[in-house]
Amino acid sequence: MTFVFQRLLMLIPVAIGVTIVVFFMIHLIPGDPASTILGIHATPKAVAFLHHEWGLDRPLVSQYWLFMDRLVHGNLGQSLYYSAPAASIIATRVPATLWLVVYAAILAIAISVPLAMIAASRKDGVRDHVVRAVPLVGLGMPPFWLAILLIYAFAITVHWFPTSGYGAGFFGHLHSMFLPALVVAIALAPVVIRALRASMLNVLGAEYITTAKSKGVPAPQLFLRHVLRNAVIPAVTVLGINIGFLIGGTVIIENVFAIPGIGQLMISSIFQRDFPVVQGVTLVFGVLVVMVNLLADLSYAALDPRVRFDR
Amino acid sequence: MRVRITSAKALIAASALVVLAACGSGGSSSSSGSAAPAGAPIRGGNLVFDALQDAQSMNNTTVFDNNSIWIFEQIFQPLYTVTNNGKGVEPWLATSYTMSPDKKSYTFKLRPGVKFSNGKPMTSADVKFSIDQDRKAKGGWDFLDLAIASVDDPSPGTVVIHLKYPWAPLLADLSIFANGIVPNNYDGQTEAQFYTHPIGTGPFMWDYWHKGQALKLVRNPYYWQRGKPYLNSVTWEDVPSDNTRELNLKGGQAQIDQTPAWSTVDSLKTTPGVTMSLFPSTQTNYLAFNEHRKPFGDVHVRRAISFAINRAALVKAVLFGNGKPANSLLPPQVPFYQAATQGLQFDLTAAKAEMAKSSVPHGFSTEIIVPSGNSDYITIATILQAELKPLGIKLNISELDPNTVNNDEQHFKYDMVLTLWTMDIPDPDELTYFAVDPQGGASSFFTFYNNPTVVKDTVAAEKTTDPAARQSFYNVVQADAAADAFMAFLYYSPYPYASTSNVHGFFVTPLGNMHMEDVWLSK
Repeated sequence: MTFVFQRLLMLIPVAIGVTIVVFFMIHLIPGDPASTILGIHATPKAVAFLHHEWGLDRPLVSQYWLFMDRLVHGNLGQSLYYSAPAASIIATRVPATLWLVVYAAILAIAISVPLAMIAASRKDGVRDHVVRAVPLVGLGMPPFWLAILLIYAFAITVHWFPTSGYGAGFFGHLHSMFLPALVVAIALAPVVIRALRASMLNVLGAEYITTAKSKGVPAPQLFLRHVLRNAVIPAVTVLGINIGFLIGGTVIIENVFAIPGIGQLMISSIFQRDFPVVQGVTLVFGVLVVMVNLLADLSYAALDPRVRFDR
Repeated sequence: MRVRITSAKALIAASALVVLAACGSGGSSSSSGSAAPAGAPIRGGNLVFDALQDAQSMNNTTVFDNNSIWIFEQIFQPLYTVTNNGKGVEPWLATSYTMSPDKKSYTFKLRPGVKFSNGKPMTSADVKFSIDQDRKAKGGWDFLDLAIASVDDPSPGTVVIHLKYPWAPLLADLSIFANGIVPNNYDGQTEAQFYTHPIGTGPFMWDYWHKGQALKLVRNPYYWQRGKPYLNSVTWEDVPSDNTRELNLKGGQAQIDQTPAWSTVDSLKTTPGVTMSLFPSTQTNYLAFNEHRKPFGDVHVRRAISFAINRAALVKAVLFGNGKPANSLLPPQVPFYQAATQGLQFDLTAAKAEMAKSSVPHGFSTEIIVPSGNSDYITIATILQAELKPLGIKLNISELDPNTVNNDEQHFKYDMVLTLWTMDIPDPDELTYFAVDPQGGASSFFTFYNNPTVVKDTVAAEKTTDPAARQSFYNVVQADAAADAFMAFLYYSPYPYASTSNVHGFFVTPLGNMHMEDVWLSK
């Protein structure tokens, strides 16, 4: 528990660091939210009026203090674009991204584990080469292109899935998000397969496996109980790191499938210079990435009793 | 075993996102449409509109964003509405008006039997409140109501508008969505509360808005046009990818694609089950010159560039032939547009002659700023680069993110920039006031153009109610503005809309207005 608590405490400096970097980066790049809101009608008078309304006519440092002061009180400020609380806008967008990431991770595991086992069961055999080579095609395909191919095949030719969208309700999401999650999983799987296969081969060479074999443990049991469990930790690390990046990297998939996630929100907010939303989303990203890494760490202990988070 | 995972990953992921922002998006368009009605309209159904981006706000007095406007136009209705050809107005929530002999007071009769979607009748108090609210909307559309001195509501069915001076564009100004009618006092709510679930007299009323995902309006049961709307509901879904909007249409998940890419228009015309409509629009694309940057203060330089542009080639390359070269500041769908104004058309000899007369006869080096990711604008800039070479002009293309381009334009930090305009009222005044009158607030479309004759004629045209006199003023304005080449007028483009072939009655006016109450879906 001390470990978990320490890791959660670490969120504070991470969050502060993220806010400082993002706040000053977004304010120092050229551009102006008033340009988005007013468009061609951005007369100097109208721009000045909006700047005053938003407090953008104050010094940058005092704007940062105001932002931090609000943040401490759990308030991310008002979205300049929507004139609505940034926190509520972000909150409505987080579930779609989480759905995508978790769904994709589950599919990636479902694809990777059996394939890695097949490959490791006959090192350098035909099946090993096939498993190592074929999924790489998925890694090499641009996700937006793969997405369009899958939409054509499964949503237009046969109407198994909707062409885009997030769906409504649990089963609606499960249905609508299958293709987007699959696209992400196809990109994720080759990396996980390789990590898993390599560590399985390592484990297969261990003495306790030889012992188990000599005692006549049947192959399926050997693989599931002894090899997989001991081999899975490096794969979890790889998956954890990739999911960390995925949280920020799902934007292309969100774009193609019109999924209302935070990746999309981040990009549109940057274009609109919607400062409070950009700051809020970045904070959420920072926290999520730390949380995913924490979960990966905790899963080590669950998977391998030898792992202890001692000081 | 101690597991160490650094917090640097969080920062790396966050910065990766910022880098991602470098990929752009852009381009916008308005509407179009004319699916021929097939048989008697059928009632019912939900129509899904795929939009490029989300709406911004439902506040009709302050919002300039088209995606918002097209939606709240289905909720709020003005006293007069734009005719289908975009050149006039017709009675809408008012049925008629009379003008005082001094042309400074207009008395409007309101349409009887009009109710808001909450069942309450619309009266003159609502009209007075609505127009007064727009007049107070600082930084919003208040500038269109500047001629109004006061609004009176002498009886529930009568509204009187008093003007500060005779003002020709009044009815056109009243036809804008910003002067749409909302309930008096926002029906007892604050302005902010009201616009989160607005109430109007339009064919559709509020259902929900899941920001970044979808906004849905449902049938207003109290709508004043008997039997309409035909649809049960309309949903606007945010689908930023061009490809996905097209796939949604083909897969039957959406009925209207609001912005098909120009490159897909030809193939959509022949796609079974799809109706590709190109509605005449007021969209005009321009190349603006900053007259405070050398050498653009020199009229000969501006004229030389304007002469050097092959507009037909731009129409072909950018719009895939679906548009027309521009000859005037005003588009053909605006009243008082002068087709006879030749403008400065492609003529390389004339361009070279102008350069010879200029302060930089041997050419110069300059820059055009374009929004990254906007392939249309990048294409134009690349063509310009080649076309200006024979004049000795070395054009550097600077791709910036779209917001920075807008911001630089508005702060005059540019040499040349591509820009566009669409009309919101059926009167040239909105554009001329903005584009050629330095007092219009935007220093003449952010160019610093100032021709006193043009300004004088523009102001005179506002205050003359005689159409013939206005036409002659606007003829001079158009001819002079073209000759001064304060902007190069590039092309007029239609509004492209793709719809499934079971959509009927869909039409978009040159100003972008859609009457969704007329639309119906066949089986």
